[in-house]
Amino acid sequence: MEEQLIDIKNAALSLILDAKDKAELEEIKLQFLGRNGTFTLILKDLPKIPKEKRPAVGQLANSVKITISDAIDRQNLKLKTEKPKQQKDVLDVTMPGHKPPLGHHHLITQAISEITAIFEKIGFTRVKYPEVEWDWYAFEGLNFPKDHPARDDWETFFIKQKPDPKKGPVILTPHTSSGQIREMERVKTPPIRMLNIAKCYRRQSDVSHSPMFHQFEGLVVDKNISITHLKGTLDYFVKSYFGANRKSRIRPYHFQFTEPSFEVDVSCGICLGRGCKLCKAGWLEMGGAGMVHPNVLKFGGINSKEYSGFAFGWGVERVLMMKEGIEIDDLRLLYSNNLDFLEQF
Amino acid sequence: MNIKILDSWLRQHIKTKATPEKIAEILSLTSVSVERIEKIDNDFIYDIEVTTNRPDIMSVIGLARETAAALKQSGIDATYIPYLPKGLEKVKSNTKVIIKNDARLVNRICAVVMDVNIKPTPDIITKRIEASGIRSLNNLIDITNYVMLEIGHPTHVFDYDRLLESTLIIRESKKGEKVTTLDNKTHTLLGGDIVADNGKGEIIDLLGIMGTKNSVVTNNTKRILFFIDNNDPVRIRKTSMSLGIRTDAAVINEKNIDPTLAMTSLLAGIELYKESTDGKMLSNIIDIYPNKVKPKIVSVTLKKIQTLLGININLSTVIQILKSLEFEVVSKKNDQLVVSVPSFRTNDVTIEEDICEEVARLYGYHNLPTLLPPLSSIQHYSVEKNSFYWEERIKNILKYWGFTEMYTYSLVSEDLFDGPVENAVKLSNPLTEDMLYLRKTLIPSLLQTVRENKNRESMMIFEIANIYEKTDDKHLPNEIPMLAGIVKKQDVTFFDVKGILEQLFADVGISNIQFKKNKEGIEKIHIHCNNSVIGEVEILEETLINFEINFVKLLSFVNNKKVYTPIGKYPPIIEDIAFIFEKPITVGDVISEIKSQDPLIKEVSLLDAYEHTKTFHIIYQHREKNLTSEDVAPIREKILKAIKETFCAKIKE
Repeated sequence: MEEQLIDIKNAALSLILDAKDKAELEEIKLQFLGRNGTFTLILKDLPKIPKEKRPAVGQLANSVKITISDAIDRQNLKLKTEKPKQQKDVLDVTMPGHKPPLGHHHLITQAISEITAIFEKIGFTRVKYPEVEWDWYAFEGLNFPKDHPARDDWETFFIKQKPDPKKGPVILTPHTSSGQIREMERVKTPPIRMLNIAKCYRRQSDVSHSPMFHQFEGLVVDKNISITHLKGTLDYFVKSYFGANRKSRIRPYHFQFTEPSFEVDVSCGICLGRGCKLCKAGWLEMGGAGMVHPNVLKFGGINSKEYSGFAFGWGVERVLMMKEGIEIDDLRLLYSNNLDFLEQF
Repeated sequence: MNIKILDSWLRQHIKTKATPEKIAEILSLTSVSVERIEKIDNDFIYDIEVTTNRPDIMSVIGLARETAAALKQSGIDATYIPYLPKGLEKVKSNTKVIIKNDARLVNRICAVVMDVNIKPTPDIITKRIEASGIRSLNNLIDITNYVMLEIGHPTHVFDYDRLLESTLIIRESKKGEKVTTLDNKTHTLLGGDIVADNGKGEIIDLLGIMGTKNSVVTNNTKRILFFIDNNDPVRIRKTSMSLGIRTDAAVINEKNIDPTLAMTSLLAGIELYKESTDGKMLSNIIDIYPNKVKPKIVSVTLKKIQTLLGININLSTVIQILKSLEFEVVSKKNDQLVVSVPSFRTNDVTIEEDICEEVARLYGYHNLPTLLPPLSSIQHYSVEKNSFYWEERIKNILKYWGFTEMYTYSLVSEDLFDGPVENAVKLSNPLTEDMLYLRKTLIPSLLQTVRENKNRESMMIFEIANIYEKTDDKHLPNEIPMLAGIVKKQDVTFFDVKGILEQLFADVGISNIQFKKNKEGIEKIHIHCNNSVIGEVEILEETLINFEINFVKLLSFVNNKKVYTPIGKYPPIIEDIAFIFEKPITVGDVISEIKSQDPLIKEVSLLDAYEHTKTFHIIYQHREKNLTSEDVAPIREKILKAIKETFCAKIKE
């Protein structure tokens, strides 16, 4: 009987210590000390014990009962004072988390970072040249004839400043190509691999034109540079920026500062080149490119008999909006600085 | 410029089995971009963008010639059928016409007098010109447009009987002269325009641009002067742009048209007037052509062509391509080709690169390999000196602290310029008054952004962009990149912004930053680094604080230099001392005073501040031994004495 009492005590204690709430403890109490509890039932056998042993067994039984009820009380107190443990069925994981602050880079910055990373991988060096520039670098030195429409004051912004006798009037750069001769002057002896990303300005404002916009210009000058190298660079950019499934092509075009000149197309991302409403027979125009005109090399102080080169200048906004998901209906929205817009990206 | 041409008309001058789709594809890849093919009844209309250097393709015969060459090179059979003029009869009783030319203004004049009957225009002519976007008017005028579209040279027709004494004198217009064009609009000329005078000072044509009301054909016209003028393109553009008359004729004439086409057009026109107006020639052909265009010769080496194309194209392919485009190889010596340029390309093809282009495009850019350029050497790269690196890094820091980046316009109104405009960099031809000056600070633009987002109770925004400073006439304005930002929230304090900037500077390796009040007032605080002001913080209102930092100056201090200091092995002693300051003090001064007392004081910071009481947290540490209270006691005494004396402070017990 003593052994049975000890077993009951041990069994009860281990259950009590594992008990998770008051109800469970009540259950345990009933199980052992209740009217039909194990302990209560075993006590009914007490008269069967020899008389001389009875006091000792009675004492033991008493202490077991006290131990069990004390343990129940202690566990009850512990459960009360202890912070309710987070239980799986109480944790609402759909509640918002506590977020660290997070701002946004402007879409243009995001595009510029990506374009820069792509070209730096193939050895292009990013440069910075004036936004307010002499006509010489923007037009005259790029082989533009005096009466070219781009030099009209209804297309290009002019600064109120006396023209320089050699370098002409001061203008806001209408394209990043104005960096070409600056770069030739800086490097002096090729090879040149320039990436010029900058603000540009033109005198027009409508849904597809903002008076201020951004271009990225590539210029490569070295010995034996050919059209194949322009094609390779272009194809590398298109696949890196738009995706491996996009194709590129060049078509004949006309610019003053390149000869031959090209128009660059990228296969449409919507129809994948099959032709749809958004493209021209499967192609989207990305911008211009060409082999550097020998006059431009000459004006940049580079011997066109020894060196050749290619250049391209594309709109940052243009390539951005050719990316899937960013079909912005009014380009000027990019410069509206509406936070509801900027926080989308 | 876009032109529209019917497929059936094109096929009058080219024999090929190629489908319209194939023709469009090959032309786009090798010549001019066919933007659309529109199906119309049993025919197709090509909508083609022709670049300004190729006026020779702005016609049916020009396009047919180009198409045939391109198709053949792509392996598709095609034959160009040129326009062949029929022989003309000799007119016995020549009708009088007096044309006095000015060779500075007009290169060539071809003309003829004809007897005509006004009748309905033949269907085929109406259909063709209307497909090209020109409205059919009457057969006399429709023929002029038809010839322009087919041959490529604009033409004009006068009512011969409305000319005064059959006289046309070509001259420059005088400033202020008035002219009424055939569309009934009166224009005041700026002077220098090419006009025809009737000999009595009256203008009877605005050459190359539009006919005038007083000489144009009418429904009663019996005799015409069919007139083709090849003009100075620069004057045509100037007149056309300044008067805003952008007729097809003007747009073509300003592109320097081959004078040879003037005669071809005249002959083609005579034929059509004979056929469809019962026309009879009343005069022999007049051809005034004083300065004939000489054939242009360009030399090129095979090596040059191969280098530019990047392939080993052989000489016979080169010659075959050039011939298909009507270039003539005059001589070849070793690998040097001397090429004669056809008259219709003399303005466009002038240097060896132009010849290379002809070969390359017909060979097909799509047939060239796609290779990355070899990299023989590269400029070395320094992170520390690369402004783009720091710009990106600082943009990232701010982004991850909750700032959103702005791109506002560099051009601002007088209002946003924020200051006297006498020395501003100013546009001479602004688009609007809102964009008149190049800004000298970014803050007003950012404040405008705050106003435009007024539904936001709190926001943190920034921008990195140039500001512009006038120098002198000999130099370009200075362009200085600035970093500017605004913090807007309820009860924002200077210390919110100071803390952001301190952490920003710390991250880019700048530690010796000081904030100093501007003497002018309390709202502007200057940021000093190594004795130079690099920016300022401005407290605008209770909810708004801005900052603007000169990015160039900032870049001169940034660095990635890291210095290793061994970590202290021995535990520090830390204590907090509270002072009561009766007189105004600055915390920065107290901290440096405490620090200067002993080298064992490792760190001092402000723990708490309440009214006049300020509690400082002081850490003592020795690098080589355990400090005891006995070691620290004399230092503490020194601190207490110094602060009491210097700042009239009391120790709070």
